Amino acid sequence: MQNIELLRLQMNNLVTQARQDIYTLSTQDDSSVKQQLLQRLWDTQSSIHFISELLANQAISNLYVTPLQQLTPVNSRNTNQLQIPPITPSPTLPSQQANQRTFTIEELANYDGKNGRAAYIAVDGIVYDVTNNRAWAAASHFGLTAGKDYTGEFASCHAGQQSILATLPVVGRLN
Amino acid sequence: MKPHILPPEPMTNEAITSRLTNTVIDNINKGLIKKKNLVYLELNGCSGNIISLLNGQNPDFEYTLNSMVNIRYCNSLMASEGEQAIEKLMNTLDEDYILAVEGAVALRNNGLYNVIGSWQGKPLTGLQAATMFGEKASHILAVGACATHGGVSAAKPNPSQSVGLQKVLPQKKMIKLPGCPVHPDWFLGTLAHLLLYGEPETDNMDRPLMFYSSLIHDRCPRRPFFDRGIFAEKLGDKTCLFKLGCRGPVTRVDCPTRQWNGHVNWPIGDDTPCIGCAQFGFPDAMAPFISYDTTKVVKNE
Repeated sequence: MQNIELLRLQMNNLVTQARQDIYTLSTQDDSSVKQQLLQRLWDTQSSIHFISELLANQAISNLYVTPLQQLTPVNSRNTNQLQIPPITPSPTLPSQQANQRTFTIEELANYDGKNGRAAYIAVDGIVYDVTNNRAWAAASHFGLTAGKDYTGEFASCHAGQQSILATLPVVGRLN
Repeated sequence: MKPHILPPEPMTNEAITSRLTNTVIDNINKGLIKKKNLVYLELNGCSGNIISLLNGQNPDFEYTLNSMVNIRYCNSLMASEGEQAIEKLMNTLDEDYILAVEGAVALRNNGLYNVIGSWQGKPLTGLQAATMFGEKASHILAVGACATHGGVSAAKPNPSQSVGLQKVLPQKKMIKLPGCPVHPDWFLGTLAHLLLYGEPETDNMDRPLMFYSSLIHDRCPRRPFFDRGIFAEKLGDKTCLFKLGCRGPVTRVDCPTRQWNGHVNWPIGDDTPCIGCAQFGFPDAMAPFISYDTTKVVKNE
């Protein structure tokens, strides 16, 4: 029953956070701060919704409560973790020792994100992992499919936006 | 410091749009602003946008449109037909009017793949109407995916050679309301803003910021599942639909908070992924709409 207690604690914290934000919002004039507060309030209420769904599911099934670590991403290595992890902007893979690996274009084509395979793309000779990248749902992005070299496409659509690449896990180089 | 009363007024999207449209109607009734003429052209498309507009509310759509503007031409809503209707359309050319266009412009065979009526015994093509009325309009609204960028009408292989409205009116400034179809609020709200305050603030793709500023992903009620890497494996699952091909993370519009069919529900609320209909490049660039053979939760690669 420890997990239900933890969820309850988490829920109470979120409610407290939301109350505090509503209060701050009512006394706030700066529109940029307001915007941030609204965003946090939105996230808080999404999390409350999430936890209430968890609790409701557990109440319905009335079975052994699934330990929380099983609900965290499989790539999360910390199996002893008992608390819900903090919300991060996007799930990213742990950087692997393979990030010095070299790929031929044929090898790269195997990582097309189909049937459980990872989704990789190459830009300027570097191979990136887009498996869990939010803009690559179903391993495709604006008509492009994973497993290919998109140096030209990146330059034509995201010229000067190297920051996009900086957020992607590097898995190796393209030969 | 100013005293604050919470909440000052309803701040839901629904309330904001209805405030906009009601203010226009009030101001028109008080004589503070004048009604403008509206020409609504339906070109190469499925007329889904005008059907969607019939869902407009507070009060109903037809009343709202009639009290906000004088509809001079709209083939779905006007009583006249045939050359009589086209005559009414032509008569507005000498007047001041706002032009709203839904549907793409078919270029093939000099526009003959899309004939919207006949004028003086000759077919009037969508291409002719779009250029003729676009040139003289005080404001132009491109309504829906087809008008803004070609949409479904321009999807491969595009036999009618359809293009978005901007392609045939390259110099004209226009407000673009992508969506397949457009939400009644996006259209009525933008029209109301136009009448009250002039053109609304837009982004670099000419979309009004009041409707198209946030990503669906940022307001998605299933965001906590994405952040925790919990993904749906089939349609109907209640978790994040990202692995099935959800386009919420690249689509900029306010569906999660606005909702559809009288603010009742929206795709993700009914367990189906966002297909990115309000994103430029829809549908081709948003395909596949659903995938079952995609990356699963990544195991040791």
